[in-house]
Amino acid sequence: MSRIGITTTVPIEIILASGQVPVDLNNIFITDKEASKLVEAAEDAGYPRNICGWIKGLYSTVVNSNDIDKVIAVTQGDCSNTHALMETLELAGVQTLPFAYPFDRDYDLLKLQMDKLIAALGTDWEAVGKVTNRLKSLRQKVAEIDRLTWQENTVSGFDNHLFQVSCSDFDGDADSFEQRVDEFLAKTQAAAEFNENIRLGFIGVPPIFTDLYTYFEQMGARVVFNEVQRQFAMPNVVEDLVEQYRLYTYPYGVFGRIQDIQAEIEKRNIDGIIHYVQSFCFRQIEDMIFREKLDVPILTIEGDKPGRVDARTKLRIDSFLEMLK
Amino acid sequence: MLCGIDLGSRSVKLVITDTAGKIEFTNVFETVRFYREYGKRHQDGLVVDFEALGVGQISEVIATGYGRNTIDIVGATVIPELKAHALGAIWQTGLTDFTLLDLGGQDSKVIKVRKRKMVDFATNDKCAASTGRYLENMASVLDISLEELSRYSDNPVELNSTCAIFGESELIGRIVEGYGIPELSAGVNYTIYKRIKPMLTSLISDTIVFTGGVALGQAIRRLIEQELKREVVVPQHPQLNGAIGCVAHALEKREQNAARN
Repeated sequence: MSRIGITTTVPIEIILASGQVPVDLNNIFITDKEASKLVEAAEDAGYPRNICGWIKGLYSTVVNSNDIDKVIAVTQGDCSNTHALMETLELAGVQTLPFAYPFDRDYDLLKLQMDKLIAALGTDWEAVGKVTNRLKSLRQKVAEIDRLTWQENTVSGFDNHLFQVSCSDFDGDADSFEQRVDEFLAKTQAAAEFNENIRLGFIGVPPIFTDLYTYFEQMGARVVFNEVQRQFAMPNVVEDLVEQYRLYTYPYGVFGRIQDIQAEIEKRNIDGIIHYVQSFCFRQIEDMIFREKLDVPILTIEGDKPGRVDARTKLRIDSFLEMLK
Repeated sequence: MLCGIDLGSRSVKLVITDTAGKIEFTNVFETVRFYREYGKRHQDGLVVDFEALGVGQISEVIATGYGRNTIDIVGATVIPELKAHALGAIWQTGLTDFTLLDLGGQDSKVIKVRKRKMVDFATNDKCAASTGRYLENMASVLDISLEELSRYSDNPVELNSTCAIFGESELIGRIVEGYGIPELSAGVNYTIYKRIKPMLTSLISDTIVFTGGVALGQAIRRLIEQELKREVVVPQHPQLNGAIGCVAHALEKREQNAARN
């Protein structure tokens, strides 16, 4: 089975239906023991220093891999750096397939994109339908992990992040991933309740910091809502796959995301929001919209390269948590 | 005696008060000198040699600042830096609603205070071009003292460099063009104002309390008053504000405990 790299969440059901293995390049990059070196390697190759660390990590991950020779790149609905990432990967001999989420959530345009991907990967809607049905129960189990996080308080912010973020590619193997989810759910039944003072929401792209969630918990706070990771996990299970990817908020405008975030702040009884932004990312501009629209205190933290949370960011987190007490 | 220590990147500030909060002793040390002369490595962290400092018997030490994540002062209560600064400003000015601007060695902090509580804040994060260190560098390019640099705010020359280091060569370019020290200095001070303005405007109040080493000069204060049309209050000890906040924290805790008993 050949492995296809993805730059962010795409309709994974299509890849699986084609009998190929999806590989979320972000997860491979950030779990690499030498993730920083991957960023440096991209800079050595000519990537500018003042470009997103994720993009550089993705580039090196693909170039260094022995078994990823095809990448589906999201050209609309993630970021324009992906365009140049595709071009530099083409230069390195990697085949790239574009996938574009229509900005206005247009059903027909999204279906057309999915049709094209189905054709490109040599599968059909019937096979995709079977995979969609197979993944439904798994998505519901991951949604249960999310519920246990905020309602039963038996799941840590990091585990919540990890299981949901892994749904972008189900770690390349839905069956063994499901087994891990089942084991985790069984273990959680007997887990003690967390009793931290402060409940946080985490919005924005998943963090490039490796120990952020641990640090929050050390400081008496817990993340009970991971916005984008939850979107990757697609908790809104509907019959129509096109509709499922229309309900997915991340690739469309910020106001749809805000509606989702507002509802979850209310439901999950959130004290404060951590807005994570990546250095040099256009999403930093959206911070002003979140501050205007969300009614809870917000701390914006910025990460550049992979590694532990730096002392200055810790200082700001400490002050924010102190403010929320 | 209570001791508040603010471990800054450029200097360590020390404030000793009696248990009623009356300031008995203050000092500002260069950071490295302080650690070298008054600090001793201990297995549990840093031990401060109060005897060598000549400050008498200390019953409680409260610390904050740049070093709080990296240095444990043995026996000290450590409080977050922004909290210390907010408390210090409330203590020094008696105000309850204001925006605090603290410009230190490597930090710019803006804290919005409402009803004596910090409700929001912003800090410089990835760049320190809006801080005291930048002013020190620019003063040395101009070959004048920091004190002189901080006198001028009229007719600033235009300086646009994002980077504090490239700002030095940009300034040299302006010197070559024949501008005098007053306009050059005003230009440097105006770049600080331009960099902190977005933070200040998003957290604005009728009154701005201005602290940190940079508040010892006049120019930036004048620029904020002129440009933002707000009252700017510089407390009696702007540079000691964080250390005073440490002491204020201890006094507050003592009051609360006394009320309980």
